Amino acid sequence: MKHGLLRNPWNLLWLVLAALYFLVPLYGTAEFSLETTPGHHGFDAYQAVLGQSQFWSTFSLSLEIAGCTVVISLLLMLPTVFWVHLKLPRLRPVLDVIAVLPFVVPPVTLAVGILRLFEAGGAQTSGIGNVFIGQPSNWLLSGSIFNLPPGIQLLALAYVILALPFTYRALDAGMRAIDLRTLSEAAQSLGSGWLKVLLWIILPNLRSAMLSAAFLTLTLVMGEYTMASLMLLNTFPIYMFQIGNEQAYQAAALAVISLLLTWIALLGVLVLGRTTNDREVRIGGAH
Amino acid sequence: MGDHRLNRRELLKRGAVGAAGIAGLGMLGDLDVSRALAAAPVAAGGIDPMLVAAAKKEGKINLITLPRTWADYGEIMDTFSKNYGISITDDIPEGSSSQEIQAIQNFKGQSRGPDALDVSLAWAINGAQAGLFTPYKVATWDTIPDNMKDPTGKGLYVGDYYGVVAFLAVNSIVKQAPKDWSDLKSPKLKGMVALGDDPRKAGEAFAAVFAASLANGGSLDNIEPGINFFADLKKSGNFVLAQALNGNIAKGITPVAIRWDYLLLAARDEYASNQAMTVNIPTSGRYAGPYFQAISKYAPNPNAAKLWEEYLYSDAGQLFWLKGYTHPARFADLAKRNVIPQALLDKLPPPDAYKNLHFATGAQITAAQAVLTAQWGPKVAGS
Amino acid sequence: MAQAVSQESPTAVARPLHPRAKGLARWHSVADWLPVVPFFLFFSVFLLLPTVWLVIGAFQTDSGSFTTSNVRGLFDSDILDAYKTSLEISLASALTGGIFGFFVAYAMIRGNPPRWIRPVLSTFAGVAANFAGIPLAFAFAATLGTTGVLTVFLKSHGIDLYQSGFTLYSFTGLVVVYTYFQMPLMLLIISPSIDGLRREWSEAATNLGASTSQYWRWVGLPVLWPSILGAMVLLFGSAFAAYATAYALVGSEFNLVPLLIGRNVESDFIGNPQQANALAFGMIVIIGVVMLIYTVLQRRSSRWAR
Repeated sequence: MKHGLLRNPWNLLWLVLAALYFLVPLYGTAEFSLETTPGHHGFDAYQAVLGQSQFWSTFSLSLEIAGCTVVISLLLMLPTVFWVHLKLPRLRPVLDVIAVLPFVVPPVTLAVGILRLFEAGGAQTSGIGNVFIGQPSNWLLSGSIFNLPPGIQLLALAYVILALPFTYRALDAGMRAIDLRTLSEAAQSLGSGWLKVLLWIILPNLRSAMLSAAFLTLTLVMGEYTMASLMLLNTFPIYMFQIGNEQAYQAAALAVISLLLTWIALLGVLVLGRTTNDREVRIGGAH
Repeated sequence: MGDHRLNRRELLKRGAVGAAGIAGLGMLGDLDVSRALAAAPVAAGGIDPMLVAAAKKEGKINLITLPRTWADYGEIMDTFSKNYGISITDDIPEGSSSQEIQAIQNFKGQSRGPDALDVSLAWAINGAQAGLFTPYKVATWDTIPDNMKDPTGKGLYVGDYYGVVAFLAVNSIVKQAPKDWSDLKSPKLKGMVALGDDPRKAGEAFAAVFAASLANGGSLDNIEPGINFFADLKKSGNFVLAQALNGNIAKGITPVAIRWDYLLLAARDEYASNQAMTVNIPTSGRYAGPYFQAISKYAPNPNAAKLWEEYLYSDAGQLFWLKGYTHPARFADLAKRNVIPQALLDKLPPPDAYKNLHFATGAQITAAQAVLTAQWGPKVAGS
Repeated sequence: MAQAVSQESPTAVARPLHPRAKGLARWHSVADWLPVVPFFLFFSVFLLLPTVWLVIGAFQTDSGSFTTSNVRGLFDSDILDAYKTSLEISLASALTGGIFGFFVAYAMIRGNPPRWIRPVLSTFAGVAANFAGIPLAFAFAATLGTTGVLTVFLKSHGIDLYQSGFTLYSFTGLVVVYTYFQMPLMLLIISPSIDGLRREWSEAATNLGASTSQYWRWVGLPVLWPSILGAMVLLFGSAFAAYATAYALVGSEFNLVPLLIGRNVESDFIGNPQQANALAFGMIVIIGVVMLIYTVLQRRSSRWAR
């Protein structure tokens, strides 16, 4: 297939155009990032960036948040989509609409709304209200899970909403691709309960869909600024914004580094997603 | 307050002792300046050791919107942390004053809420009125000029430092650095002049328009000439609406920048080995803008917050701000007592540059802001 | 939605239910809904409630009483202008990104390129789709700005971009920059649909003697049309709400709705949070309408998906 592209030169043209369009602006950034003293080039800016502890701390914070978001998303969406596909097909159109709603609300509004809601909840300090609303609200706002930095759980939950259109599409397409009904009924007739069916039959077949969902969530978290800033969490995008405002050469170097790092992470997800029969991971929101 | 004219010479004069005493600190190199600042006596009267102990017990402080390269805050935070063993969280370093107030409101009663703020005048007044601040008067309260204090006298907010609107030019692109507002009109500067941000949103850009107004027949009660100045500059093609951030300056995208003097002077130093830059305070239209410290009423670490303020208003803190090229609130007092290292004074722009400064009141700012918001879009942005 | 037919398990309907079993059946149907409750609860708390709060806020004064003045204020000429410009930019970048993205996706999937192209391009698209804000604005300024590498390169070859009136800080410039994240988004969204364009169809068409353009006219486009349009609707939404890039590039020049909102909520001056709520409400209405179109198109296209 080496000459496949040349069969229709238009395809080659489009791919070349895409490559140019993606890479030339990056060249501009990279070229600037390599400037040291006038007329000289070097990796000074890169060394400076990688030497800052804030780079690593914010990058790992964002990765942690992305991880939490993916876990919560899957925990929430997998049973729901599974159940709707199997038992409640009438809800499918409802879910389709719900999955699109996050695009409609501006992230600023979402973040402020969530914060105010739980802040009001946290003010319930007496009696039953305290137990069911007050304590959980306070924990969501300032508590920490598994020794991770405090407060990231609320941002992760907000990101689950932002990522909803993509995760739902991925899981929905994945479930449609496998014969859910036959598989579950076969498993059930052999005596498995629903949970076992979900865990041991369905999940392994959804590996590609889940990875696709994780992929999109990761890119979203690594690029989202507004909500993180409202929730006072110093994530990687906030750090990038800070350097972009304050620094010159380091900002350019940081942009290149973050691009490369995220790209490598995504390639890693892709590699992980290769099943034994080498089916391609379906990346992107599916229809 | 009103149209208060302050200048450095006057401030220096207010101290009776002349330059002779200042020379007493000797000629120090730059590293020595840092060391001297770090070791400087903390305050004229010293900080209450009970407060220090209580703050250390809290062990942490939540600060907000403090860029490290703004007024040498990076060094201030590092030194404070080291001296008192209090760990600092600096949330959203590039945030605006409104976000600081919002953070207090969104995180009331939460351990992640901000402890101390550094806000523009508009939000200082707003926050005080909304009852979001705890009043506090630092040990060195009496040496702070009255026009930097909250007019109710309760100490709900206090001016920390101020800067003056200045020009920066990248030498390799601009052969003759502009020295005054009229220089900006030169056809040689086509497509080069930029503000730091949108004046409808950011205090520093708003100040630039006000300064332009003062230089072109306006006053602290009339910002229109300033808006017209930029409208003309845009029409002639000199003014571009890109942000004069350090990256854009160094890359030559906005080789002539109009921002606070301390930001530009810090940039000049930072990029000295990459791109030589010249910073000038304009000869006319000198507008000064202070920022204000306040402690949140819902501060999760109130003692640490108070200690932070004490540190900022101590000689050490004030000198760090001076190193960051701002004019700290207690400048006059420091000069009077000869505690400013000569090396530091030498690095600052000449005192003449700080004559005839204009400070606007909260009311004047609000009125001017309304005019600006209405007119900037149609006249300058062309929409 | 051919797959949406509900098929009961064969054993359920055969014989009339014993009264006790009827009760169990009712319990069964409640239990049927239980597993989806967590999701709906989560969704209500984290999306519906904040949205309702916003909508209510759009109709409130500072003191909390009801008013329509904020929303009526949306019809001021400069605010209407902001909506108009936002709509224009979103439409333009959705078109450029959509068309560019479609052709690249098609070339990547159906053009028989080397095997490594698809994963590399897809992952890079994933990164580029979120590469927005200051880095993107700077990247283009460093390339197409007055001292940009491309500008300088072209000048040395006799083409002076800026002499001919081009500037990055314009409507055109903004569309060019927006396309940087619109095109990859299109690529990612439309790829599965192009995958669904069965090879057998094009082969069958060729066998029956159809030319390429006939294939497209009668098979390809009719099948893909709803997906393409649907994807462009998503692109529209993403451009409409874009803030960081617009701010970094043309922050104080252009009248765009997200910038207006930003000026009211993230500023060194006291803005008008009620107006911000109203502006956001307006955005919700517009995007809501657009999304409605999307879901309708979405239903029609899923006929053809796997």
